[in-house]
Amino acid sequence: MIENYFIHLLIMIGIYIILTLSLNLALGYTGLINLAHIALFGIGAYTSTLLTNANVPFLLAFIIAGLFTSLFGYFLVFTTNKLKGDYLAMATLGFSFVVFSLMLNLTEITRGPLGIPGIKKPEFFGFIIESNYAYLIFVAIICILSILIITKIIKSPFGRLLQATRDDELGLRILGKNTFSLKCKALMISAFFAGIAGSLFAHYITFIDPTSFALNELILVLTLVIVGGIASIKGSIIAPFIIIFLTESLRFLPLPSSFVGPLREIIYALALLLILYFKPRGIFGKVDIA
Amino acid sequence: MVFMQLFVNSLIIGSIYALVAAGFSLIYTTNKFLHIAHGVSIALGGYLLFLFFNLLGLPFAGACIIAIVLTSLIGLAMYQFVYLPLQKKKASTIILLIASLAILILVQNLIQLFFGANVKSIDYLKVREGISVFGAIITPLQIIIVLIALTLFVLLYLFMKKTTLGKNMRAVSDNKELASIIGIDYKKVAGASFLLGSMLAAVAGILIGMEQNIEPVMGTQLIIKGFTASIIGGIGSVAGVIPGAYILGFAENFGIWYLPSGYKDAIAFGLLFLFLLFRPQGLFGLKKGVKQ
Repeated sequence: MIENYFIHLLIMIGIYIILTLSLNLALGYTGLINLAHIALFGIGAYTSTLLTNANVPFLLAFIIAGLFTSLFGYFLVFTTNKLKGDYLAMATLGFSFVVFSLMLNLTEITRGPLGIPGIKKPEFFGFIIESNYAYLIFVAIICILSILIITKIIKSPFGRLLQATRDDELGLRILGKNTFSLKCKALMISAFFAGIAGSLFAHYITFIDPTSFALNELILVLTLVIVGGIASIKGSIIAPFIIIFLTESLRFLPLPSSFVGPLREIIYALALLLILYFKPRGIFGKVDIA
Repeated sequence: MVFMQLFVNSLIIGSIYALVAAGFSLIYTTNKFLHIAHGVSIALGGYLLFLFFNLLGLPFAGACIIAIVLTSLIGLAMYQFVYLPLQKKKASTIILLIASLAILILVQNLIQLFFGANVKSIDYLKVREGISVFGAIITPLQIIIVLIALTLFVLLYLFMKKTTLGKNMRAVSDNKELASIIGIDYKKVAGASFLLGSMLAAVAGILIGMEQNIEPVMGTQLIIKGFTASIIGGIGSVAGVIPGAYILGFAENFGIWYLPSGYKDAIAFGLLFLFLLFRPQGLFGLKKGVKQ
């Protein structure tokens, strides 16, 4: 029993690591204040769900979910390219609201607030990942691959250009670099990983509804990124472990279950406020949020 | 018939949005960061009225006053205990925005913890038969909502134009450094903007609580609308966001003449996104700061 619960937590942590790391790529490494990350996660989840429900093989749906979400990443940079600071934050937050209300209201496609139940478990060439244990292995593989790829990207010359865009965009443009295209690529990669994280989430929980992609979930991901550290891969891997174990341990306190949900959100919010005050760069962070 | 009804509905919801947006933009112009937690002040207004009137049995007027005063003080406390310490540590406006999202989630869940997640109603004015005005049905409460909102806007206008504090607020919103050179205490003015803005939010919360219901997430839903209205009107201009709010109210209600009613929010946010893309400074705002 406790084993199953532990496996469940590890699967969720794996998904959150991908989500946190991909947001950190945009927010920490490229300096793009993207408050639409949770919407991208949702787009990935819905895309993958709808495709597999239309009998598209899982692996294909999984990849298309990433690619389709990455188109939205392009769209975000393309449309908000001229905005900075607060206005960029507002536009991306606005994008989150638009996506959320579309999930609620495009009832013919998303079933609105009812959500989509009975999402298929992943299937590879006739082999179905049924047990949570097998799913954990699957998530772990994808998670480790994502960490390796994102680390590789950040350490590459391209990654250093992204960090230069964050630190001094004008200076980089003077050197003849196309910062618009850099930002586009960064957010497309970030969105791709958010999309596949969404797909992993949908096929694990087997039920999605718009509330999984609402504002309070955005707070969780922001908390994870900032607690772990702005522009820190290590931080984005460790923070999900700390925060999720910490809040999940609430379950073992003798509290009514209707208390646990709000209490967990309160802890996320408090953790975020405290880290912003005492260590705004986060535990392993290297730079400030612009 | 349909036209008149939609017109009246737009006016009512526009008034609520305008109350939210006016407070939100008052805080923004003085402090230059987005106080998204303004939404939770709306919910607090509704819930504190519920606490004092329905649960503790105080007279309605007294309960309203207590709810408004407490909400204003909590708004001030948010400034004193969260934003001001962060500002002292030279936090950027993005950090303040993230902090305000955290406060929103924090207080919203505290409300849920104390009062439960279910919808509650404040039964003060029993549902009455509406009056027919040019073929549109409007209830007495709805007339009160529009009248209170309009009265508050006039008072707010007079406050900003005639009183020293109002003038100081406008001075700070124009140029903070210059204002402090001529001896305006910035922190006092900023605190006052939080008091006043949260007061407007509390009134909005009480009115929407009486007209509809109260639930913990109401603040988040309304601040999104207030935020949209502010973007349409131009967040840098308190006077501009009020027409912005009515435009939003009209767009939502007349939009569903053609579209299913579920699309109300989608229309609002579509409008929000279009404005952010093509006219981020809004209809009446200044272009300053959009690209900085």
